[in-house]
Amino acid sequence: MVAVGWLSKNVAVIAVPIVTILFGILVGWLAQRSAFCSIGGFRDYFMWKQTRLLFGYLALIIGAFIGYLVFWLITPQAFEHFFWLLTSGLTPIPGAPAGLTVIGYVILAIIGGIAVGLIGVLLGGCPLRQVVMTSEGNVKALLFVVGMCIGAVVFTAWISGWTVALLKGLGIA
Amino acid sequence: MDEIKANSDSPISCLDTYARNPLILGLLVGVLVAVVQGLLISAGGPEAYGFCVACHTRDIANAAFNSVAGTKLPYAPISQNAILPVLTVIGVLIGAFISAKFYKEFKTKTASAGSYIWYLLGGLFFMVFALFMGGCPYRIAIRVGYGDVIAFIGLLAIIAGVLVGIKIATTMAEREE
Repeated sequence: MVAVGWLSKNVAVIAVPIVTILFGILVGWLAQRSAFCSIGGFRDYFMWKQTRLLFGYLALIIGAFIGYLVFWLITPQAFEHFFWLLTSGLTPIPGAPAGLTVIGYVILAIIGGIAVGLIGVLLGGCPLRQVVMTSEGNVKALLFVVGMCIGAVVFTAWISGWTVALLKGLGIA
Repeated sequence: MDEIKANSDSPISCLDTYARNPLILGLLVGVLVAVVQGLLISAGGPEAYGFCVACHTRDIANAAFNSVAGTKLPYAPISQNAILPVLTVIGVLIGAFISAKFYKEFKTKTASAGSYIWYLLGGLFFMVFALFMGGCPYRIAIRVGYGDVIAFIGLLAIIAGVLVGIKIATTMAEREE
């Protein structure tokens, strides 16, 4: 079954870049003003017990839940698998390499999460903060963003397939 | 609240008081990712894809690489079906640049060549590991809001990684002293 949104498919395929770029401009402006950072939120809390950024990140989770809940009640067909745990169980929402078992996804989430937190702390920010710092003229952050683009291509071309093969070969996925 | 309003001399500085509050970004963006999904889900999945710095960068990078190198690297269906991939990250770059210029906070900051290499590699590995768990910390947040248990495990792992990172950073700082 194909999910049906508020726009018809013909309109939506044209609207994708327009809606997302406008949404991005809003996020960029707010993130530049508030210095929003997810990993920075955890770091500030654990190092200095500062909750300013942490509460912003928690507000994002709560805001997303409220938003999805409200619009799911209005147009359930656009939010087909909300609430995911109840409709799809322990499987993840697609995005990670496809074709693994739940155990495989848990392993990838743990490895990926720890590395993301570690790199984020050591290089002073989550990806959103790096993108915003790039726009503020920080050349190191620009290099980080360029690295992300290279990483995306490398991951999709090779690492994704290798990982699935490795996990399947080890018999845990 | 009245005090804040009394201190601000124009609607712009009053608006800025709210923009500087991370809670506003969190709640507003949280609700808007649901609006984005409502508007665009007909173009294709996945769900809970309204905002992600890693995945949306992946979509743009892979689409660009495909058109230059003639490869067929896969990326999210919504970006493959649409006339252009999701441009959220380009929007963030533009929005943050306008804001930085408007508030005179734009300042070119250079660093040593060695640190550039670290940041380039850092970005590369960050992207690889973010795509392992299917998103950056932002998509993890909205996936948790959507009810994804694996994303919640990813969130706990991020917190563990932050704690390890703090430990390493403080140990390194102590050694330097």
